Amino acid sequence: MEKALIFKEWVKTRMVFFISLALAVCVALYAVLMMKRLIELKGVDHLWLIMLLKDNSFIDIIKYVPLVIGLALGVAQMAPEMAQKRLKLTLHLPYPQGKLVGLMLLTGLVELLVIFVIQALIIGIYDASVLPSELVWRVMLTTLPWYFAGFTAYLFVTSICLEGTWARRVILALLGIAVLMIFFLQPALEAYNGMMLIILITTLLLTILSFGSIARFKEGRQD
Amino acid sequence: MNRNSESVISVKNLTQRYGTGRVIYSDLSFEVPKGRILGLLGKNGTGKTTTINILMGYLRPQKGECRIFGENITGLSPATRARIALLIEGHVQYSFMTIGQIERFYSSFYPKWNRDAYYELMAKLHVSPGQKISSMSCGQRSQVALGLILAQNADLLVLDDFSLGLDPGYRRLFIDYLREFAKAEEKTVFMTSHIIQDLERLIDDCIMLDYGKILTQMPVDELLRDFSRYTLPTDAPVEKFTESGLFINPGKIKNELEFYTFKPLDEVRSQLSTLGVDVSGLERREMSLEDAFIGLTGKY
Repeated sequence: MEKALIFKEWVKTRMVFFISLALAVCVALYAVLMMKRLIELKGVDHLWLIMLLKDNSFIDIIKYVPLVIGLALGVAQMAPEMAQKRLKLTLHLPYPQGKLVGLMLLTGLVELLVIFVIQALIIGIYDASVLPSELVWRVMLTTLPWYFAGFTAYLFVTSICLEGTWARRVILALLGIAVLMIFFLQPALEAYNGMMLIILITTLLLTILSFGSIARFKEGRQD
Repeated sequence: MNRNSESVISVKNLTQRYGTGRVIYSDLSFEVPKGRILGLLGKNGTGKTTTINILMGYLRPQKGECRIFGENITGLSPATRARIALLIEGHVQYSFMTIGQIERFYSSFYPKWNRDAYYELMAKLHVSPGQKISSMSCGQRSQVALGLILAQNADLLVLDDFSLGLDPGYRRLFIDYLREFAKAEEKTVFMTSHIIQDLERLIDDCIMLDYGKILTQMPVDELLRDFSRYTLPTDAPVEKFTESGLFINPGKIKNELEFYTFKPLDEVRSQLSTLGVDVSGLERREMSLEDAFIGLTGKY
């Protein structure tokens, strides 16, 4: 049954998954090429210098990519469930409803994780070939809140899509915008290092939102 | 309706409103016995789909209790859900899947899955297993939904307005397959439809809903035997018959009075006589289920 449920989620999201993966890879390769070009023109010492003195990580281009991917994947996965109230079919399946919703979210989160890990690996592997480990970690820790923003955006979008009333959708959307803005407030490198645990816990807690939307759907709170 | 037989669906004192406003129905109670095909009939807005939403757990009832296979519907277990095949209004299915994918998907959930029943119906549509459901016509999609229901081999079939959007051919195909399946396998069916004439060939029992209440609940053959339409040429004003309260939905076109009643001919004659009406032209007319529905609910 689990295999069938994961398959259903995959059928809905695979196109967005591959487009997102292509986008993530292209943007990561572009960031790598920019660094490579600078090294060829001015040498690797110059690159280190800029990174240390000017707080430039050369990966600013990927900043909003996880956010966009999270939004797109959430819509691709949950919009078909709410179109024609297809969610009724899903909730009617002979499978525990809590586990079912959890599995749907887990599938989406794993897809996001795969995309983000591949993108981070491209940047990380190249950086490790030209930068000392301290700088590689600095770059990676700088990108981490952006990836969390991707997961957060996904969880907010899924809860908004699964919500049956417009008033709640607007409230969730406003809340989502407010939470997501936190991830992009500080432009400095590693600005969020001290908050990483709080960000992780907050992201995990956001999964509750979708369960709440489902519970309200089952009570008949639908426009 | 055989009250002694085991009830598959049991609804007691169900009360539901639109939000905090208009009452959809109050203290609605009915039972669906095992092995029967029951049609829930009513005009638009009388609460047919609302009832199905409540029974399937998509709407919390404001008052009352509903049970399916003895289990309260507010927390149907997966095992009980496996015994219920559900057709959502508009034959909604996972249209992002193909014919083959959707069959494989559902087969994982139902132990009594009958793959052949599904593909037998698909063969009639001349579609390939790789065809996406979203690219099919409304009629073809209805057959996919029906095929999945038949393959599920459930004990109870709940069908919400199966005729919506279907042309007569597909409606007939749907009804023929469903009836043969339900009767051969002793399945219980609870269904709604806004096309009453379709149901005459299909259902054993009917519940006719009006705004806020049940008008009648009985086997279709009993209804068609006991409920009658009469016509009578008369100059008497229709108000005379309306105000008497003796007959159901009296109406008059030119000089011909039309009314409905559960009373036998002799009693009708005698009651008309007490009103001082000449009954020499009184005639009892043959009725279809649709006529009976109009007779009970009125034309407006």
